[in-house]
Amino acid sequence: MRDALRAFLRHPSGLIGLVILLAVVAVAILAPLLFPDSPWDMAGAPFRPPLTPDLPLGSDTLGRNIAAGIAHGARVSLTIGIASTLAALGIGVTIGILAGYFGGRVDDALMRFTELFQTIPSFVLAVVLVAILTPSIATIIGTIAIVSWPPLARLTRAEFMSLKTREFVEAARCQGESALAIVGRHILPNALSPIIVTGSLTVASAILLESALSFLGLGDPNLMSWGFMVGAARTVIRQAWWMSVFPGLAILLTVLAINLLGEGLNDALNPRIARKRG
Amino acid sequence: MSDAPLLSIENLSLTLPPGGDRRFAVEDMTLAVNPDEIVCLVGESGSGKSMTAHAVLGLLPSGVGIASGRIRFRGDDLTALDPAALRRVRGGSIAMIFQEPLSALNPLHRVGRQIAESLEVHAGGALSSADRRARTEALLADVGLPDPPVLARSYPFQLSGGQRQRVMIAMALANDPALLLADEPTTALDVTTQRQVLDLVRKIQRERRMGVLFITHDFGVVADLADRVVVMREGRIVEEGAGRTVLRSPAHPYTRTLIEAVPGRRPAAAKPAAAGAPADPILTVEALRKTFVTRQGLFRPPRRVNAVDDVSFAVGAGETVAIVGESGSGKSTLGRIILRLADPDGGSMRFAGQEVGTLRGEGLRGYRRKVQIVFQDPFASLNPRQKVGDAIARGPMAFGTPRPEAEATARRLLGRVGLDPSSAGRFPHEFSGGQRQRIAIARALALEPRMLVADEAVSALDVSVQAQVLALLAELKREFGLTMLFITHDLRVAAEIADTILVMRRGRIVERGTPAALFSAPADPYTRELLAAVPGRDLFASGGASA
Repeated sequence: MRDALRAFLRHPSGLIGLVILLAVVAVAILAPLLFPDSPWDMAGAPFRPPLTPDLPLGSDTLGRNIAAGIAHGARVSLTIGIASTLAALGIGVTIGILAGYFGGRVDDALMRFTELFQTIPSFVLAVVLVAILTPSIATIIGTIAIVSWPPLARLTRAEFMSLKTREFVEAARCQGESALAIVGRHILPNALSPIIVTGSLTVASAILLESALSFLGLGDPNLMSWGFMVGAARTVIRQAWWMSVFPGLAILLTVLAINLLGEGLNDALNPRIARKRG
Repeated sequence: MSDAPLLSIENLSLTLPPGGDRRFAVEDMTLAVNPDEIVCLVGESGSGKSMTAHAVLGLLPSGVGIASGRIRFRGDDLTALDPAALRRVRGGSIAMIFQEPLSALNPLHRVGRQIAESLEVHAGGALSSADRRARTEALLADVGLPDPPVLARSYPFQLSGGQRQRVMIAMALANDPALLLADEPTTALDVTTQRQVLDLVRKIQRERRMGVLFITHDFGVVADLADRVVVMREGRIVEEGAGRTVLRSPAHPYTRTLIEAVPGRRPAAAKPAAAGAPADPILTVEALRKTFVTRQGLFRPPRRVNAVDDVSFAVGAGETVAIVGESGSGKSTLGRIILRLADPDGGSMRFAGQEVGTLRGEGLRGYRRKVQIVFQDPFASLNPRQKVGDAIARGPMAFGTPRPEAEATARRLLGRVGLDPSSAGRFPHEFSGGQRQRIAIARALALEPRMLVADEAVSALDVSVQAQVLALLAELKREFGLTMLFITHDLRVAAEIADTILVMRRGRIVERGTPAALFSAPADPYTRELLAAVPGRDLFASGGASA
C-alpha cells in the first residue's frame, strides 16, 4: 500500500485532481465561516455582475450571492456524491460478493435482478423515484444509490469469480477458514483496487446526477445546489451569463478532479502500471 | 567463417537499477558461440543468464543497461546497431524461443498466420502468399507437428504445451537463423514433452548446423544437449568447458552443487519393500471416479473426459506415495478430490477408517485439518495482501487456538522450515520462490496434519532449490510422523522421496511399485516411456559424474 501511495504521488494528473478536490472540500468545510448568512438571503441588488463589492461572482435574479451559493452548494454536492456512492457500494458489493462467491443459482438470480436495473435508463428511473418519494436529501441519496449500484455489482462479481479459484483461496479453505473469513480476509482485499477506482468515478457521476435532478427542480428545496443554480439561471443566460457559468464551472471542476483522481488511483493500484512509472 | 565464433560476447557488464541486491546483472562476461555448436548457459534464477540472452537482441527491460563490453555477431557489434538494423537481425539471423509458449504466442491469431508474419517481415514482398503458406506448412512439418495444413489453422489455445513450443520453434526457424537463443524453453513442460522438445532442438541444430545458446537451470538437460557448458552465478561465469568434462569432473564447487542437485541422483535410502497393500492404511481409495463434461454447442454431443477412472490405492501411515503422470493424466484432479476441493462422481475414500468422500460442513472441516496441501506455484498460493505470519497462524486460529499461541507457532514453524522467525511480519512478495514454498509448507504444518498432499510442490522451483525443499520435506515427514502423497510429473523427484510410486495415465493407474522396482524393471510401456524421457539419464546412470 505504501508503494501504491508512492506511485500515486508520482502521477501528475492524479495529483492535480487531488489538489482541486481538496480545494473543493476546503470550500465546503469553510462555507459557514466564509459566508455565514444563508445562501438564500438577498445580499444586494439583483443582476449585479462579478467583481461587484461584496459580490465577487455577482448576484442572481433575486439578488442572492452566487459565491455563497457555490460554497454552500459544494457541501450538498460532495455530501450527496459521497453518501450515495457509499450506499451504492454497499448494495453493489454485497450483491457482487454473493453472486461471485456462491455462483450457480444464486448468481443467476442476482444477475437477472441486476439486469432488470440495467435495462431501465438510469436517469429516467431517478426522476421517477424522486418524483414519487418527494425530493429531500435522503431520498436523493437513496435514488442515486439505487441507479448506480449495478456496475459495481458486476465488477465485484467478476473479481470474485476469478479470485475464488486462486490457489491461496483454496489453501485458506483447506486451512478450515470460514466462508466469511475467506471473503473478508482473502478475496475482498485483493479485489479492492478496481472497486475503489470505480467507486471514485461513481462519486463523479453521482454529483452530475444530483445536478441534473436539481436542474429539473427535483433537488431538495431547502438546500442550495449547483444544479439548481444553473437551472434557475438558464432563462436569463443571455443577459447574465455569470449566474449559470460559475456553478457550471464548479460542477465541471469537481467532476474532472474526481475523474483525474480515479485515474491516478487506477494506475497506482495497478501494480503493472505503477512499476513502469516507478 | 568456420574459425570465427558466430556470437561473441566480450567483457559484457549490465547494470541493474539502483536499489537492487547487486549493482550488475551480469559482470565482465565473455562468451562465444560457434556455428554448429550448442552452448548451455546454466545458473539458478537471478544469476543473470536470461539477461545475457536478452542483451544479445537488445531486449533488456527498462532500467537495465549495458555498462561496458561488446556483443559481436559475425563480427558486427550488435550494441551499436540502430533500431531498424537490430529489427532485421531479430527473428532473421538470430531467433529466440521463450520459456512460456502460451504467453509468447498471440492468443487471437491462428498459429500459421503468426509464422507467416515472421516470414513476411523479413522476406518482404519476395514471397507470395502461396509461397508463405507452403513454407509455413513445411516448417510445421519440420518441427514434427502432425497434419500441418490443419494445424496452421489452429489457435494457440487449441494446442498442448508441447505443440505450442514446437510452433514457437517453427517460428524461430522461419528465416533460417544462424543462431538460436533458447531461454529455458522446456522448464514449463512436463518430462515427456521436455524430452520431445530437447530431441527436436538437437535434431534441428544438427540438420541446419546452427549455433544454439541454450539457457537452463537443470544439469540433466545440459547432459543431453551441451557441446559446451558455461556456469553462471550472481552475474559472473564461474566455470566453462566442454560438456562432458564439466559434467564428469566439475572444477568449481558451485558447479558440483548444481550437478548434485539434479534429482534422482541421490541413491534412495534402503526402504522396506512395500509389498502389496500396506499393513495399516491411513487412506484407502476405492474405485474413485471423476468425469468432466464440457458442452460443445447445441447440436454436438458433450465431450466427456474421465479425469479419474476407477482408481484404487491405499497409503499406509507414515508412508510416502508418489503419483506420477504427465499433464492431463488426472493426477492433480485426484489430489484435489482427496482434499475434497473437488467432489468425486463415484467410489469411496476412507481416511483413518472414516468415509470422507461425502463429508459436509463441520465434518469436512475436521477432515481438512488432518489433510493439508502444498500447491505447485508458490506465487499463486500465498495471499499477496496477507503477512506470512498471519497466513500461517490463521489455520490454528480458525480451530480455536488463541492468537498469541498461534503466532508463536507460526514463528516457530518459520524457523523450522529454515526462514528467520522475524520474517512473520513480511509480505509474500519479499521472498523468493523457494522461500515462499517453505512458507506454504509451514502453513500446511501449522494445523498438525496427519497427511500432506504435495501437488507438484517442487516443479516450479530451480533444481538446486528443489533439492533443498525435497530434503526439508523428507526431514519434516520424519519429525512430524507425516504420511505424504506426492504428486509430480518428474520420475526423478518421485524416486527420490517416495516409498511407493503410482504411475497414472489418462485417469488410470497403469503401474505401481517401489522406485527401485520401477526403475530397474518397468512393466508398463508408458512407464518405460517416462523413464526414457528423464533428462541426463544416460550420463547419470553411468555413474560417471560422481563428485
